[in-house]
Amino acid sequence: MEKRFGIPKSAFDRYLLFKGSKSWHFVRHSPGIQHVSKLKVSRVGMRAFQKVGRFVKPSTRLIQCFGHMAIRAKFQIDRRQLCKLLAGEELTFPAVLEDGYVILFLGEDMILGLGLLLNGRVRSLIPRKEIPPTFLER
Amino acid sequence: MTESFQRYREIIPEFSDFQEALGKPLPKHFRINRLKVESATLIRRFQERGIRVQRSMEKDDTLHVVLSELDSLGKSIEYFLGHIHPQALTSCLPGIALCPKKDSAILDMCAAPGGKTSHLAQLTENSGLIIANEPHKRRQSPLGHTLSRLGVMNAVITSYQAEQFPLKQRFDYVLADVPCSSEGKYRSPGKDAPPREVRQEQKLAELQKKIIVRGFDLLKDDGEMLYVTCTYNPEENECVVHFLLENRDARLIPMHLDLPQDPGILEWKGGRYDRQIRRAIRFYPHRVDSVGFFMAKIGRRK
Repeated sequence: MEKRFGIPKSAFDRYLLFKGSKSWHFVRHSPGIQHVSKLKVSRVGMRAFQKVGRFVKPSTRLIQCFGHMAIRAKFQIDRRQLCKLLAGEELTFPAVLEDGYVILFLGEDMILGLGLLLNGRVRSLIPRKEIPPTFLER
Repeated sequence: MTESFQRYREIIPEFSDFQEALGKPLPKHFRINRLKVESATLIRRFQERGIRVQRSMEKDDTLHVVLSELDSLGKSIEYFLGHIHPQALTSCLPGIALCPKKDSAILDMCAAPGGKTSHLAQLTENSGLIIANEPHKRRQSPLGHTLSRLGVMNAVITSYQAEQFPLKQRFDYVLADVPCSSEGKYRSPGKDAPPREVRQEQKLAELQKKIIVRGFDLLKDDGEMLYVTCTYNPEENECVVHFLLENRDARLIPMHLDLPQDPGILEWKGGRYDRQIRRAIRFYPHRVDSVGFFMAKIGRRK
């Protein structure tokens, strides 16, 4: 997160990372967390990362929570561009950047989630079914 | 005019106004999620898009109602971003009544679908620990989804029957938003309420009594519990709280909420309840245009 987006490690100091078979979960550290091991737990905190092939992808929700601290690999788009991305099209990234994840912003401050930059072109990794169709029609 | 809920004629004040209110649709209340956005920012964005909203409570800038014609709040970009949560006004009152401090240990005994749980996380600023217990497996996924969408990072989901939650640790706050007959949600223009299922209600009351006792036993010495239902039925409300007072060293804590409210009742069908139950609160749709609610705040007797 620090290498790609410039989000400092210290941003995560107050959180514990739990590893599952294919994902990692963040939960806020607290004195009470030690008791959790004695309970029948279905889910811990928020899913933060998941394995996608041989890569590790931050989750949309993690990026929405911490993306405001990013200082690079950011892509600000407008509604028209968002519609294109969600329709499966790619957009040209307006800077030189290594292939990898970029944070998609709608306007200046609405953090949508991640896109994937490959050879100067970005495609969306936002869960398509979660963006309301009525929003896109307007 | 609907003849719904005639059995409550003697205990619900201004009963004809109450019946009339049942014929109107529920307003579109929502809560601004401060974990992800500031209230002023969200309101400004809505205003820029021509969406008119109004505050629901003077002293809380996160609770609003939509005044414009709007398809559904669940179809807005703000919903996807976790900036808002459609939530009945009365459903936000448990969090306000409990008023949990930061870094506390909280148990939400019947947490799904997660509106109240996420409100508690917002009020504690994602600090401390919330155990979001949900006994029904099929409701755990929507609970997890709600908590993720709203950026809740201090919650752990467990899957016990609420009345059997283990006594291995105690909590600063317990929320017992119990399964109930949900009469308070009923709004249907021109129709009568669905017929009562008496045996089902009796089973519910037995379960509610077990849950309230277990919730109380999970409190720390200075802990506070909120017993909540969305029904008008005294057999699921005051009677259950009275049962706790008879079986445990408990006391009712007064609450002061900035909305029209009525006290708990002391008599129903020949039964009399502990006088402390006047400190419980009833919310009716003709006083607060929202889901009917009952709340009782409980602590250990000092």
